[in-house]
Amino acid sequence: MSQRPELLNGLSDEAARQILAIGSRTTVASGAELFRLGAAADSLFVIERGRIRLTLPMQVRGKEENVLVEERGAGQTVGWSALNPPFRFTLSASAALETEVIAFPREALLSHFARHPETGYIVSMNLAAVIAQRLQLFQAMWLREMQRTIDQRCA
Amino acid sequence: MEMLLLGICLSILGLVVSASAFCAAARSQEKEPAARPEIAPVKAAQATRFFAAPPVPKPQPTIPIEALLLQIENHVRLEQAAAQSFIDSPNPAVLHSKTTSPLVN
Repeated sequence: MSQRPELLNGLSDEAARQILAIGSRTTVASGAELFRLGAAADSLFVIERGRIRLTLPMQVRGKEENVLVEERGAGQTVGWSALNPPFRFTLSASAALETEVIAFPREALLSHFARHPETGYIVSMNLAAVIAQRLQLFQAMWLREMQRTIDQRCA
Repeated sequence: MEMLLLGICLSILGLVVSASAFCAAARSQEKEPAARPEIAPVKAAQATRFFAAPPVPKPQPTIPIEALLLQIENHVRLEQAAAQSFIDSPNPAVLHSKTTSPLVN
């Protein structure tokens, strides 16, 4: 990852270094699962390199299949359910190829933010931007789908 | 003379009998079609095969599940790209732009 992760935008080098020191690097093999829908979300992940597929189950010809919802790459954040109650993953995540992630345990992050509120504020704003981007994207996708449904029903 | 008169009478009598018999026959022929029961149309004879199972309808050709999943994935990517275009430049035309996804075309 050449650039700073989106979660650490706007932080000083020292503040970013302190945050990164909280995380632990993990390598996820190609095709392996990072987290599963419904599981306890205790850690937030920043992708160091590689690609993570976010999927949701869907019935295809009577069989449950994990269908791609979104794909995230280096510098991007996945698993922000770890910072939002009820702290359960609402998607499944797996590696599209061998991927390295930095895992940030919620408790360690929150206690760091309590000691460094300015850092906590900036990271929270960055996280809000990530969530807002997802919301806007899926809002537009939902409306496109709705338009097609209306077109079909009223044709 | 008597013989001639007898012949004429017998001829007239024969003519009357023949005419009445013809009229009776004509009336019964006119009534017959109405009274005749309707005949069911003949169905085409189906080819039967001894010792063979009845023909099974051929299943509709379906694309393999892997190909279908790839189509769904491609559809999601195209929809995301279209939605992202709307976020980058919000206007109704971009929001409802068409994609090449076979799932919606």
